[in-house]
Amino acid sequence: MFIYIDILLRLALWLLLAPLLPGVINKVKAWVGGRQGPPVLQLYYDLARLWRKGVVVSTLASPGFIIAPAIAWTAVVAAALLLPLAGAGAALSFDGDVLLLVYLLALARFCTAWGAMETGSAFEGMGAAREVSFAVLAEIGIITAVLTLVVQSGSIALSSMFEPLPGPGAALLAVGLFIILLAENCRVPFDDPNTHLELTMIHEVMVLDHSGPPLAMILHGAAVKLMLFSVFLAQAVLPLSELPLLISLAALAGSVLLITVAVGLVESLTARLAFKRVPLLLTIGFLFCLFPLILTWMGDL
Amino acid sequence: MNDTLSLLIGLAMGLNLLALGTSRLPVLIRAVAAQGVLLGLLPLVLEAHALDWRLILITLATVAGKGLLIPYMLIRAMRAAGIARELEPFIGYIPSLLLGAGGTIAAVALIRYLPLLPEHAGTLHVPGAMALILTGFILLIGRTKAISQVCGYLILENGIYLAGLLLIRSTPILVEFGILLDVTVGIFVIGIIVDRIQRAFDSLDTRKLTALHE
Amino acid sequence: MIAVLLALAGLCLILAAGMGRSHPRIWLGLSVIATLCGLSAALSVLGGGEIWLWRGGFTLGGEVPSLRLDGVSALFLILVCVVGGLGAIYSHEYWSEHHYPGSAPKSRSWWSILTLSMTLVLTCANGLHFLFAWEAFALSAYFLITLDHGRGEVRKAGWLYLAASHAGTMALFAFFSALAARTGTWELGPVHAQAGLAPLFWLALAGFGVKAGMFPLHIWLPSAHANAPSHVSAIMSAVAIKMGVYGIVRFSGWLPLPENAGWTILAIGCASALFGIAFALAQNDIKRLMAYCSVENVGIILIGLGLSVLAVQHGQPAWGKAALAGTFLHVINHGLLKTLLFFGAGSVLHATGTRDMSRLGGLWRAMPWTASLFAVGAMAVSGLPPLNGFVGEWAIYQGLLRAVAQKEHAAGVLPAVIVLAGSGALALAAFAKATGVVFLGAPRTKPAAQAVECGWLMRAPMFLLAVVMLVIGLLPGLFFAPIMNSVAAWAPQWSGADPLLSPRTLGGAHTVLACALIAGVALLLRMVRTNGTRQSPTWDCGYVAPSSRMQYTSGSFAGIARGWFVWLLRPEVLIRRVRGHFPGRALVVERIPETVLEKIIDPGARAVGYMADAAKKMQHGRLHLYILYVFLGVTALGLMILLGGV
Repeated sequence: MFIYIDILLRLALWLLLAPLLPGVINKVKAWVGGRQGPPVLQLYYDLARLWRKGVVVSTLASPGFIIAPAIAWTAVVAAALLLPLAGAGAALSFDGDVLLLVYLLALARFCTAWGAMETGSAFEGMGAAREVSFAVLAEIGIITAVLTLVVQSGSIALSSMFEPLPGPGAALLAVGLFIILLAENCRVPFDDPNTHLELTMIHEVMVLDHSGPPLAMILHGAAVKLMLFSVFLAQAVLPLSELPLLISLAALAGSVLLITVAVGLVESLTARLAFKRVPLLLTIGFLFCLFPLILTWMGDL
Repeated sequence: MNDTLSLLIGLAMGLNLLALGTSRLPVLIRAVAAQGVLLGLLPLVLEAHALDWRLILITLATVAGKGLLIPYMLIRAMRAAGIARELEPFIGYIPSLLLGAGGTIAAVALIRYLPLLPEHAGTLHVPGAMALILTGFILLIGRTKAISQVCGYLILENGIYLAGLLLIRSTPILVEFGILLDVTVGIFVIGIIVDRIQRAFDSLDTRKLTALHE
Repeated sequence: MIAVLLALAGLCLILAAGMGRSHPRIWLGLSVIATLCGLSAALSVLGGGEIWLWRGGFTLGGEVPSLRLDGVSALFLILVCVVGGLGAIYSHEYWSEHHYPGSAPKSRSWWSILTLSMTLVLTCANGLHFLFAWEAFALSAYFLITLDHGRGEVRKAGWLYLAASHAGTMALFAFFSALAARTGTWELGPVHAQAGLAPLFWLALAGFGVKAGMFPLHIWLPSAHANAPSHVSAIMSAVAIKMGVYGIVRFSGWLPLPENAGWTILAIGCASALFGIAFALAQNDIKRLMAYCSVENVGIILIGLGLSVLAVQHGQPAWGKAALAGTFLHVINHGLLKTLLFFGAGSVLHATGTRDMSRLGGLWRAMPWTASLFAVGAMAVSGLPPLNGFVGEWAIYQGLLRAVAQKEHAAGVLPAVIVLAGSGALALAAFAKATGVVFLGAPRTKPAAQAVECGWLMRAPMFLLAVVMLVIGLLPGLFFAPIMNSVAAWAPQWSGADPLLSPRTLGGAHTVLACALIAGVALLLRMVRTNGTRQSPTWDCGYVAPSSRMQYTSGSFAGIARGWFVWLLRPEVLIRRVRGHFPGRALVVERIPETVLEKIIDPGARAVGYMADAAKKMQHGRLHLYILYVFLGVTALGLMILLGGV
């Protein structure tokens, strides 16, 4: 009984808190730009509005056009539920669940690409091609970070593998994971969530034809994914699980907020990269994850 | 002490990757300069327990030479030539980055198999030197612009300098100054040549120099 | 019991081979009976975990025939039976009398002979008979590949297959005769005691590796799989190459292994996985794409096997058992899902007459069944939960990660994990491309627009496969139990160790996930229905005349990732641009050559031919010059003796 309440509580936490993050990012951007900016809760309003709206479906699209966003959203939320939350631990944990997390994100990616290919639009095909190609490099980076944690902790279950590295290793890993976070969540400098030029986008261009509740699911799923990566990054770098329950949760929330603010600052202060340079930055992200791996592996040499 | 040492060398190794991954010449030059400064500070860390005028002199000279003088000249040469980017390298940025990273890892892994003195065995000193030399070679081989090649040469020299620090107590100071002087003269010569090439060919592409092979 | 079942299966197959030419329905019935018999024999061996042995009371070719079915061979036998039976059903409609009156009878009898010979390969415990069965298997596969021998490229692919296959068989001849010479008997079985046999493993690896299609011995595979009829491609890709894998698995379990065997297999596996999927992603021909994907999956299997061999060598059952169980499960999984995918591609080919993805598109409207079943296969091959592909890879990953976590012997495992993750993501890209370009969007050509769905005899096998794949995904615990018997047959010394896998937990997670997915989809569909939908053309950015040819094609979809592998793929591109005031037709043609074959082996063979031609000049028919040769030869010999003092 307890476990069901636990899972429901976590589910509610993820679903309700996630849309806050894009709001914070936008607020930071507005603040840096000296503007008032939209309210922090803007995404909630948007989601509520989209959820009630009708849907425009392309004449070319199959039922998969509606099904794909639902699968992608469920997969992302399921992946989020696998993550432990600092001192609270994970609701469900077994050896190798970290692979389930990685592949659930892959499932979401496949479905998003599927939904994009449904419409037969050249723009959306372009976005899908970019998404699945760049994700190869991002996934290599993620698995390298996971390897680092596995080597450090000697465990292959998410609930016990967040044992932060000592010294410079943690800093390197933080930078690497942050780069991957930006790439996987399609933030500047990889992608511009605000632009209206289809040719310069990855994720936004894939969802160009979606509307109504499916679009709401896509937007909400993106917010959950951002939070998922922030929580992962925070726990991989900071020794949160050793603190008492409430303090550790507060520390986790604080660090997620910090990461969000950092994303907003990066977004305000840098320009989007040329597409040819995206693989270079992702490779750098991968290297930032690789060096801590080598450091941990070699131990004290 | 070892921590500071490893941190400095680790940062220098990170700058290697920056140098390999960037296409902007100013960034490249600054990376090399910063690397020079970091390595210039090393003697102070290494011999912190027995500071004397010799060490301080070496440090000051290296930092000033590598961190200020040479970069200043390079930036001037770059402005004179009017280029800011390396556009078509022989070895692309991602491959050279991966090569550099692979070389760095190999260097770190290799140190277990080298017969080192016990006081050098636990640090990044030797692998750092090897990684720097390797990076220098990758830049020298893989870039086409003369200025990038000069930077490669400088990183190579940094590596040799780092290796030379292993013998800091036994290297006569004159030798070290000799090397530094050598480099400075080299940079002068290259600066002049760059200027001339630019005037003669309207480009700094060393590939075009193959026309001169006769 | 097992003897009766196997005999019955063999009898049915022999009868089917004989009668299949004239009686397609009887052939179908016999094939299905044979499948069921073989399947129950294999399952009873797997379930019981005992070895079934049979020795004849007579000699055949000077040797007493003996058959043997243990956990390892029973596992592969399941694959032979399932794909053999389902392929028979599929081909009944796909390669029917009606469409191919000339070759359909041949297809049927060779199909039966192929399944029979593969069953013999799996059961023969005598080296001599094994070689005969192997040869029969190779030849029947050749005749099946060249069923449509009116087309030049089919003949070419067939010859390439035959040549490569025999190069492999040559290594196997050497291997088995050396084995027989050293052990003094043709009987096969564990020979761990004789450490001197270790180097023979390299011969076996090369010989079986050609058939398994591991990089760089895969040269025959893409063209043979692409040009064969689809039911043949399915059995080739799903089962025939697994015979090569079987050989490697079998003899890595029986022979004493050279010290670096584990690392070598692991490295070959990494190369196959990465390069195989890089080639697959760049293909424009849907069947070639899947053929290269088979190379990738053999790579994944070899990574798992290599790790298990390492585990044996280091005495680490904990990770070895997980990795080997994953490997075995992946053998089955890949067999199932690749059959499904090739059947799907066959339906597309059947309906449209082309394999070129850039000429297809929008097929979901005409072929909803094929489209959704193909999508299931594509998701499974990309290793996505909650399907079976993930379960196998999950176990292999667990072996790898455990080896990493132990941190002692296994620095080489780190790149293997990274390669596995990278090739998984590339596989996702390749199959997102294949499904997206072929089935979604708008039809790019007329044949694609006029396609019709295949009949139920072609749909039923695909449906069945998809169901089995889903069941493996949802109830992996059910399948890991018998597979542990295969693991025990491969490495009896690990019997006491705990594999530390928790397939039941994974199964539970998968089931919950599947329910959640259904709930999510139902919720969204309901919401969409209540809110109402409106049809409208795809947003075209204000362009006035959108056409189906503006869609992203397979080449453009793969463009980014192909760019990373240009050094390996070496695409040949022909571009005729739009020029002048009254431009002619513009054109872009892109071909991805088989690099190993066309850039390495072909030039090498040409050089050898050139040298041979040059040597031919010495054979001119002038007697006095021949006498000169003799004189020169004798002088040279004399000089050698004089100088060398031999």
